[in-house]
Amino acid sequence: MRRFFASPHIFLLILLISTPLPSQYEVVAGILRSSSSTRSEFLVSLPVSPIARIESEVDTLFYTSKKQVVVTATRNEKALEDLAVPTTVITRRILQENGSSRLNEALLTIPGLTLFEDHGAGIQMQGFSPEYTLILLDGEPVIGRNAGTLDLRRLTLEGVERIEIVQGPTSSLYGSEALAGVVNLITASPNQGWNGALGMRYGTHQTSDLTGEMSYGGWKGGLRLLVNQNRSEGYDLTPTQFGMTSPAFIDYTVDLRANLTFGERGKMKLGVRLGMEDQAGTFAIKGPAGEKRYHDTGTRNEWSLHPEFGYRIGERIKLTTTLYGSSFTTDVLQKEKSTSEILYEDRFEQQYYKTEQKITVLWNSGHLSIAGGGWIQEKLAGDRYGSDETEDLIATSGTFGVDIPSVSNPVATQWFTYLQHEWIPGKKFEANLSGRLDAHSDYEHRFSPKLSVLYRFSDRFRIRGSIGTGFKAPAFRQLYLSFSNSIAGYSVFGSTTLQKGLQRLVDQGQIELLMVDFYTLEAIQAEHSIASNIGFTLEPFSELKTRSLIVNVNLFYNDVYDLIETQPVAQKTNGQFVYGYFNLAEIYTRGVSADIRWGYSPSSTLPLGLSRIEIQTGYQFLQAHDQQVLRDIDRGIVFGRAMNGQDYRISKTEYSGLFGRSKHMATSRLTLYNESKGASISLQGRWRGKYGYRDRDGNGFANRPDEFVPAHAVWDLTFNKDHRITESVAAQFVFGSRNLASRTYPSQIPSLSGRQLYASVKIRM
Amino acid sequence: MKNNTLITLFTLSFLVLSCDNSTGPDLEPLVVQLAEDVIADPAVIGPDGRPTGSGRYTLYSLSENKLILSSEETDPAVRQADSASTKWDIGFNATTIIINGGTSGPGAGVAQVLTQAFQDVVSAPATGYVADGSNQNCPGIQTPAGSFPGAPYAICTGSGNGWYNYDSNGPLITPIAGRTIVVRTAAGQNYAKVRILSYYKGSPADPDPLADESRYYTFEYVLQTDGTTNLSIE
Repeated sequence: MRRFFASPHIFLLILLISTPLPSQYEVVAGILRSSSSTRSEFLVSLPVSPIARIESEVDTLFYTSKKQVVVTATRNEKALEDLAVPTTVITRRILQENGSSRLNEALLTIPGLTLFEDHGAGIQMQGFSPEYTLILLDGEPVIGRNAGTLDLRRLTLEGVERIEIVQGPTSSLYGSEALAGVVNLITASPNQGWNGALGMRYGTHQTSDLTGEMSYGGWKGGLRLLVNQNRSEGYDLTPTQFGMTSPAFIDYTVDLRANLTFGERGKMKLGVRLGMEDQAGTFAIKGPAGEKRYHDTGTRNEWSLHPEFGYRIGERIKLTTTLYGSSFTTDVLQKEKSTSEILYEDRFEQQYYKTEQKITVLWNSGHLSIAGGGWIQEKLAGDRYGSDETEDLIATSGTFGVDIPSVSNPVATQWFTYLQHEWIPGKKFEANLSGRLDAHSDYEHRFSPKLSVLYRFSDRFRIRGSIGTGFKAPAFRQLYLSFSNSIAGYSVFGSTTLQKGLQRLVDQGQIELLMVDFYTLEAIQAEHSIASNIGFTLEPFSELKTRSLIVNVNLFYNDVYDLIETQPVAQKTNGQFVYGYFNLAEIYTRGVSADIRWGYSPSSTLPLGLSRIEIQTGYQFLQAHDQQVLRDIDRGIVFGRAMNGQDYRISKTEYSGLFGRSKHMATSRLTLYNESKGASISLQGRWRGKYGYRDRDGNGFANRPDEFVPAHAVWDLTFNKDHRITESVAAQFVFGSRNLASRTYPSQIPSLSGRQLYASVKIRM
Repeated sequence: MKNNTLITLFTLSFLVLSCDNSTGPDLEPLVVQLAEDVIADPAVIGPDGRPTGSGRYTLYSLSENKLILSSEETDPAVRQADSASTKWDIGFNATTIIINGGTSGPGAGVAQVLTQAFQDVVSAPATGYVADGSNQNCPGIQTPAGSFPGAPYAICTGSGNGWYNYDSNGPLITPIAGRTIVVRTAAGQNYAKVRILSYYKGSPADPDPLADESRYYTFEYVLQTDGTTNLSIE
């Protein structure tokens, strides 16, 4: 707590609390006065037929529309412009214009977000690695992370209406993982009547994407079925060396969404998703005796089931019951190429079940509350998890992880409850206070509060401020790992398996030296943060139809405590250590992101039939620093070894921070429209300043030129054309190129393949 | 190769300087000496498939810049004779460095690790040396229950405590920049400053932990033989 009062957040908190309340309350009796349509939407959405809802669905042109609806930030429909937290929406239209087909491609276009490749394509938000961003599909968590990264390539953008991105901690509503922010994919509702679509896309690396979609929308409900196949032959950026840079894969997604209205007040929604993937790659391991070549195959199977029931009581109360189940399984097998000798084999299985009850109460025109609670059960099975016999089996088998049956399955339970109150005393000021309590069986309880306020000086200028806490549950390995490396001879235990595992090693006489009294070990805590976000939006031409300009600026500061790292707890008779996981490190990330969007629709068309021009540019300044390193620099004990071999003392300004973080990043986008011909051309660029990717002089961070990935830009070009074939059949063509300049860094950014060309056609009927 | 060039440069610069310097003709020129690929008990794959070392030390003489006893030597008589002599100043086994003195040998050797760049250590400090076995200041092994005393070598063992950092992702041993070992030789009269350059055979610029053999020290040092604490090479 003392840390908190010494931190910059306290100033923001004081500022938020002391914000002058509007002197003039403007409340229109009976109808909530708000600058958006969302309140009335809340009131009418349930009793009226789904048609009305569909028809009232807002214009997806989020540059011009004032009514882009967002559900992620407050767990309720609210206009983007009314949100007090930094939020971005990528609409269907933008996805199409960018030629994005998987989630990773779409998120890259957001200023300040960048790809973070670590066991899959993850996203870096506000300087955090991917494990700190929660990924939702229609509001429910997508599970299945590898080393903390949820591979965003798993998620097709087919059937997605928009992507909502909330930056800053949102644990006060969503709990664990929402420490850096939340990404929510919102699926599209079926249109009226029978509709079908067929999409085909083909490009470099024999990458293809096929989609079939069928939907029906009626008065009482709708149904949509989507099947997607995504495949690639992979690529090799280093043909002189054995081993593919990126493996070949084939991925299937089957997605079913349904909704049904019953009676005047009830509504039911259903989401079902199946996912499958097969991967095949090759790699080589160099040893003193030469190179060994391996085949690497992997499969992934996942499903999720998401029924939801909504029921309205009177005009002001809405009840929502959500059930959610999801399963994620991967198998990895690595075999020597000629002898088929198994190098490594691993199976991982995760199951997630949740039940949640939510109540939304509109007290009166100025007060809206949401309260909810629920229960989660998670089950794990994996070669490296659990306890008891697994570890011994691994220890006695020749190579680690081979043919080890899953002998124990950790089960964790968790309950949670949250409360949010929105207070809208007038049209100038809004405040939102929320908090959530998470009680988990295997780590300490966490309470996550958050306060955010919005103040509108006018329609053209508004400021936002929020202060809140975020947390991330200890990863599975940090809780349940039970692993002995038979080659190196060390052992690692998760916090729940440590005591038993250590006891067993003691009993077996494998322990030379015990460094802790393992009966007095405290329960592990979730990694947690305190964060402030403060920003403004400026819209100088908000009333004009021909011209629009939106300037968004957000400053963020995240203090993160109790990051989990390994520490030795005992020394074995073989001289190796036994490690456990403990709360140790502290970091902070801070920076500013800014984003300017300019749109121009002249009253008479320009040359080439251009009817609209949009330019968007974004920038982020970021620092992500380890507090211990900063303290060591203060003590003068941190050095670097320069390229000429000389050692030199490192100052604070020379500290580059955590790996993979660019101090400067920028994005830009230029789109030209010929709306009468249904055509558009879009050029998008992403620039990253240099960032550290390895350490060569033993100080743990990048300081020499050969420890950085140089600054670079990647450009994409997309051409879109809509063509109406008959009254009811329309085609959409897309031609594009990713990484136009064919920039590659094979050893530093293997995920950046050379230039890729693609063409796609989608026929809707 | 790079280090040879360095030495040549240092030597050349000294020659140039000594031409101008007519006031100190008695001073022996101090040069940076290089010891390459000093074997330090390379691990072999044992019957259990686990790479293990033998535990034998390599012993090295700074005065002669030469190997006195290799970790490969298995004859107990030879090993005993050399270990019990003051011919060697510094010894190596895996990441552990010993000094001939205290619990490690019969010599009068002591040492300390300075948090200072090699080139900036212009004279051996007057105090602060400890012999192996009596170093009470080694950072303990950090455990949740507190600090567990580290092995009391003059050059503390463990990642981040002495001369190296261990990165378990490689796994890779990297010498910590800005750590200079100051040693008093076994004979007890002379001082030397030592900087470890590499832990891998051939001193590769970019060691590959899977392909490059570890437990081969390359280090540079400056030995003052006149009994003073001067370690400046200029």
